[in-house]
Amino acid sequence: MSDASAARILDTAAARGAEYADVRFESARSERIEVRNGVVAALADAASTGYGVRALIDGAWGFAASDDQSDAGLDAAAARACAIARAGASIARRRVGSPPPLSYVAEYATPVQREPSSVPLGERVALLLDAERGLHADARIAVGRAWIDLWDSRKTLFGSNGTRVTQRIVQSGSGVQAMAVDAGDAQTRTYPGDIGLYQSGGWEIVEKAALSENAQRIGEEALAVLRAPQCPSGTFDLVLGGSQVSLQIHESCGHPAELDRVMGWEANFSGTSFLEIDQLDRLQYGSPQVTIVIDNTLPLGMATCAYDDEGTKTGVSDVIRNGILVGYEMSNDTAREIGRESNACVRAQSWAFTPMIRMCNLNLLPGSVPFEHLFDDVRDGVYMESNRSWSIDDRRLNFQFGCEIAWEIKNGKRGRMLKNPTYAGMTPPFWNSCDAVADARSWFAWGTPNCGKGEPMQVGRTTQAAAPARFRNVAVGVGYAGGHG
Amino acid sequence: MARAILERSPAEQTEVLIGQSDDTLTRFTHQISNQNVAALGAQITVRAILAGRTGVASTNSVDEDALRALVERAVAMARLAPKDPLQPPLPVGKPAPAPPNAYVEATARASPERRAQLCKAVFSAAERADCWCAGYASTASSAYTIANSNGALASFEGTDAAVNVKMIGTDSSGWAEEHTTDVARIDAAAVAARAVGKRLRGAAPRSVEPGPWCVILEPAAFGELLAYLAGHFSAQSYDEGSSFCSEGLERRYFGENVSMFDDYAHPLAPGMPFDFEGFPTQRLPLVEHGVVRNVVTDSYYAHKLDRENTGHALPAPNSYGPQPLHLVVAPGTARLEELIAGTARGLLVTRFWYIRTVDQKQAIVTGMTRDGTFLVEHGRVVGGVRNLRFNQSILEALRACEFSSEQVRTAGYGFSTVVPAAKIDGFTFTSATEF
Repeated sequence: MSDASAARILDTAAARGAEYADVRFESARSERIEVRNGVVAALADAASTGYGVRALIDGAWGFAASDDQSDAGLDAAAARACAIARAGASIARRRVGSPPPLSYVAEYATPVQREPSSVPLGERVALLLDAERGLHADARIAVGRAWIDLWDSRKTLFGSNGTRVTQRIVQSGSGVQAMAVDAGDAQTRTYPGDIGLYQSGGWEIVEKAALSENAQRIGEEALAVLRAPQCPSGTFDLVLGGSQVSLQIHESCGHPAELDRVMGWEANFSGTSFLEIDQLDRLQYGSPQVTIVIDNTLPLGMATCAYDDEGTKTGVSDVIRNGILVGYEMSNDTAREIGRESNACVRAQSWAFTPMIRMCNLNLLPGSVPFEHLFDDVRDGVYMESNRSWSIDDRRLNFQFGCEIAWEIKNGKRGRMLKNPTYAGMTPPFWNSCDAVADARSWFAWGTPNCGKGEPMQVGRTTQAAAPARFRNVAVGVGYAGGHG
Repeated sequence: MARAILERSPAEQTEVLIGQSDDTLTRFTHQISNQNVAALGAQITVRAILAGRTGVASTNSVDEDALRALVERAVAMARLAPKDPLQPPLPVGKPAPAPPNAYVEATARASPERRAQLCKAVFSAAERADCWCAGYASTASSAYTIANSNGALASFEGTDAAVNVKMIGTDSSGWAEEHTTDVARIDAAAVAARAVGKRLRGAAPRSVEPGPWCVILEPAAFGELLAYLAGHFSAQSYDEGSSFCSEGLERRYFGENVSMFDDYAHPLAPGMPFDFEGFPTQRLPLVEHGVVRNVVTDSYYAHKLDRENTGHALPAPNSYGPQPLHLVVAPGTARLEELIAGTARGLLVTRFWYIRTVDQKQAIVTGMTRDGTFLVEHGRVVGGVRNLRFNQSILEALRACEFSSEQVRTAGYGFSTVVPAAKIDGFTFTSATEF
């Protein structure tokens, strides 16, 4: 990862006709530890180093990635990116790509309180063994799982416009899960949230999750859900826990607000979007309680960094302001198409992938109601927590989500536990039915480490900070409408 | 390299997995290429076992220092791992030769210009049909070598080529794709024409009421549905109680006409003849005439459950258990056109989108139709319908179904299905969407 290697690649690309080129060198380390039923099912440490070259020729981008850092390898990757760009230009009906408008020289590093590497491996394993053991409240817990993921990536982007941005991104996550099996039924509980606690930072993120302290409760809840009555079908007021609101934002706002989707760049796979450009500044996406912002400077956000993978400086911008659609997640090329500037929402999974628009940190701003008062004027409703099933159509309108656990709400009070809760709706009516978002005391940066998009498929790490929220007159119980259960 | 790593390892048992890939893909939309990429890379993974303690490390650096550090990391992790009393010895078998045409040189060497020409044929079809298109043309090659200190040594090279096309008009879209190991077999113009045909037939879609419908799932749709049943045939899911068949094998769970296999050597989807432990993969019957016969195993679950190792291990570390990666469903006797002709009123489904499990034990899944859903009346396709959401138990679907006589490969790299079209009675749609 040297300036000389970068210069060689950029010179080769220029000699091959690139009007602009950049190269992103990345060296990444990841660790996965998973304990499953008392056995260490994964104790793995992966290292990967390589680079990806983007070349722009006649308005078309070509991308070539390689892990060959010899001079011949550098030359070959640069030449391959140019050949790919030229082949793309030969069939393009119009020019789309342009060089980035600005260049930067900068460095950034994720704030880390405790370096994960400073924690002895034996301590990391022991934490999970202890937490997993706690899940087994009785023999009906057929599967107990506890896991830690640690990521540490160092990358430098060199652009032929003079950009030289070096960043170190550290992200950590952990969780526990219990699956209870009895009498032909299987029920799962996960903690924290529905996938674990994933944030940017070091070992302090794992400590914050307090897995061992919560394991027994999670095991007992899995058993309790087995015995709980089926969630009813019908129209109910709905209160969603914070992690489920996070997923609702992710699927029904985050993806449809990706401007490449809006423009049809994902049409064959992830789909398009109902947030069409002629709806900008007009569409009543949600109620006035709903304000959703991109904040790629958010402390603890999984997508937090100083510059995106095109070299654009990160910041804060609105997507939904008081219920109205006012913005998108954008790259340089897509922003230019609608007369705006990129808001730095471009990321690549690793050196081996081309940068593309990702939803990054997209957050529902907190409201003013304390969480415990969300139930106050609900006469007949359901409170759901922890996602277990999620599906939405390819324009992001018709959705159906299922949760691991629910409680009925009767006359303002949380009542008995329910199992197999599902709810469904259409995105704008659903968000317009939101009449309360809990206040900042229950607002939390929920990270998602496994967001898929693109072809070749890339996995993105993103955060949707959210608080619990209340929705009126929602279709509940549809997942079992076929007479099952 | 594998032998050198094995010789250098101080562990009691060591496994080396070397993977190399060159993946290229030209993605397009609105008749431009919006993602045009190539990635060349390798990964070396070492699994070290000391007295039942396992550690795994991987790297993509192949110099001497990196490989030495790789072994040291795997061994260090193993020393800190708790002992697993069920850890069996690393397996040794004699892998079968690769099936014919698993590797095609022309695919491995396909140029950016070749992919551009495939895309250009699609662009021309879109412009003639007055619509826009999105999709990709891809070519890829991969190679694996797996060796262990007990004597296993297996190598495989494979290729994959695909064209994926969505045609989009004012109020309808159509989709088609083709997967093969040989790029020369791809007729991009024909794939584009199929997508155009669906786009045109789906124009001016009508709304239909959700509820139970007779559906005819084209192979792409049926293959997507079936993928959500695959994990139930893992010995891990079976053992832990989360599979529909955890209550017992050799029982009838499906209709008499349902037979399903895991077959890496099917001519439409030839794949690797050994698993990621280097052990030979069996061409295994999973379901015969509705009766579940087998679940797939690896060395760990074969030992734990006292069953035969069927050679279905995933790469270490693996917390998902063994998996069937090459599902094949036996065909029926009627052609797809005959299934349609025999339908009084039903829906013909091109593909599904965003299927997710709603209920694990009952194998209830939800998802949407997409890119070509048609109303069938009196044996004829009469027009397009707006898309619908379903909630359906796959188990129940396979108790009342009929299959077409044509099998199609419906997915690419890594996980493939070879399936016919399926006609299913009482398929439950629960809501509709706006397009």
